[in-house]
Amino acid sequence: MQPKVDKDRLLDVGYDPGIASCGRFLVLDHSIFEASHRIKGLEVLPLADAMDKYPHVRDNLVFKLIEKDKNEFSKTASNLPPVGYYIKVEPGVKIDMPFQAGFLLESAGATQVIHNIIELGENSEAHIINGCTTSQQTHKGRHIGITETYLGRDATLGYTMIHNWARDVDVYPIGAILVGENARYISNYVAMTSVKKTVSYPVARVMAGGSARFYSIIYSRRDSYFDTGAKAILEGDDSSGEIISRVVSEGGTAIARQMISGSSPGSLGHMECSGLLLGNKGVIHSIPELKGEHQDINLSHEASVGRISKEELSYLMTRGLTDDEARSLIIRGFLDIKIKGIPDKIQQIIAEVIDRSVSGSM
Amino acid sequence: MLALFANHEERDMELLEIKGLRASSGGREILKGIDFTLEEGRTAVIFGPNGSGKSTFLGSIVGLPKYDITKGNILFKGKDITGMSTYERTRLGIGLAFQYPPSIKGVRLRTLLDTMNPDKEAIEHTSEILDMSPYLDRDVNVGFSGGERKKSEILQLMVQMPDLLLLDEPESGVDIENISLIADALKIILEKDKPIKKRKRSSIIITHTGFILDYIRADVAYVMVGGRMLGCGSPSEIFEEIRTRGYKECQKCLEEAEKENHAA
Repeated sequence: MQPKVDKDRLLDVGYDPGIASCGRFLVLDHSIFEASHRIKGLEVLPLADAMDKYPHVRDNLVFKLIEKDKNEFSKTASNLPPVGYYIKVEPGVKIDMPFQAGFLLESAGATQVIHNIIELGENSEAHIINGCTTSQQTHKGRHIGITETYLGRDATLGYTMIHNWARDVDVYPIGAILVGENARYISNYVAMTSVKKTVSYPVARVMAGGSARFYSIIYSRRDSYFDTGAKAILEGDDSSGEIISRVVSEGGTAIARQMISGSSPGSLGHMECSGLLLGNKGVIHSIPELKGEHQDINLSHEASVGRISKEELSYLMTRGLTDDEARSLIIRGFLDIKIKGIPDKIQQIIAEVIDRSVSGSM
Repeated sequence: MLALFANHEERDMELLEIKGLRASSGGREILKGIDFTLEEGRTAVIFGPNGSGKSTFLGSIVGLPKYDITKGNILFKGKDITGMSTYERTRLGIGLAFQYPPSIKGVRLRTLLDTMNPDKEAIEHTSEILDMSPYLDRDVNVGFSGGERKKSEILQLMVQMPDLLLLDEPESGVDIENISLIADALKIILEKDKPIKKRKRSSIIITHTGFILDYIRADVAYVMVGGRMLGCGSPSEIFEEIRTRGYKECQKCLEEAEKENHAA
């Protein structure tokens, strides 16, 4: 039976069947509609099935990076049968083509509880793009999303999440990542539309030589509340972390929490939080934290909160741009983080999501 | 006969006509009554010491919001543009190359040029003339040297092709080789290859050093001191006078002229 899926809304978050992908996963409220993979060495299963099939998943991966009683949301999730994906990439398998996942909140007022597990074998590579949205007519609901990610030695994961919720939805993604030796984790988080409340603070533990990079792009509209950020714990020698966020407030609240802590020699951490306030109503609260526990480490941060520069505006207007055109060009530029290490297609999807939202709001 | 006459009228039309212009910034009056005219196809150069109001003058013509025009009128192509916004003036054909252009993070030079002019081939070609192709995919002015900034300004003007070019110290901080590139580009925009009567585009150049005049011939020169424009004359003679006698002498002339005015 063909599900009645709001395809347009899914397209808006990059869940696009027209794009060549290595596999797909789609959840509608609590039901899994698709779990597919098209490449040897990639396996995608509903997590419940994976737990039956592989004792290893049940015993070593589920609720191992995140404690069941971490908070009320993890408790809720631990008391329900898991709905979500298990993605496994075999050692040595490198997949350039994105894996697409869609999470659609279809029924008004529903609570969607997701649990995902990602396991990358040694020296493997994958790029996952998650699109989360509501259907056209749904403005109210709750999404809880638990994601535990395990990267083997030398593995690379690009993990992109695009949120396009509605004005009365609250969202609690809980993420934890174990970055193995010399592995690379790259996270992109893009949220450009109204939401009631989003609270997210993924934590990466980085082993020797590994790196964790978090990029987030947040546009907080009127009555929206974001409390988002990331934490990188640099546990191994020569590990590194980077956390970069660009936050725009158009009347909404955005709290950007970022922390990098390092305890091993040779560790390197850098974070940037730039905030742009449009209008007088919004709040941007940047909370950067650095913690060093070894003399041979280098941690730094830059943070700023301000308005659009009048000088830049009038400069662009001398090039024939109207006030609105100049503003939207500056905002788009502000939100453009040059992310290295993810496929062009995903870059392009992110750019389109930003373009659509910024030009739509001008 | 009638057609010829009309044609003649057009040719003599003032592209820019400024009457009694007073402008202030942050409550401080900078321009203290300026009269100025520029015909189609002509290049004027303005000399003047630091702080004399030269940049304010150009900024007021293009309508930068940081300058308040408190008195007087600016007519461009016969239209009163005094109350118009910056972009309206720009779309009528005024372009400004900034002395200190800002950097715009995240906006690639190519993106800005595409927004100004959809002709991609023209953009590529123009970038080559100025040796700026490698900079197209960099953010506007971010990390550019002084010379690269100036070339980026001229590149933007070349893509914009305004009828009136306002050039604020186009050669300051630029090495000899690049001054010549900038001058070549300006000559293209200003149609310097055509006989003077056939040129349509005009420019006002502010220069400190006068170097640019070794490459681009100006038709007329002005000296600006203390927010006032002193009499005009031949660019080479005026430049020579400033070099030998300095702006102090010009200041004296101004004071004397003022006394005469008061006496009258």
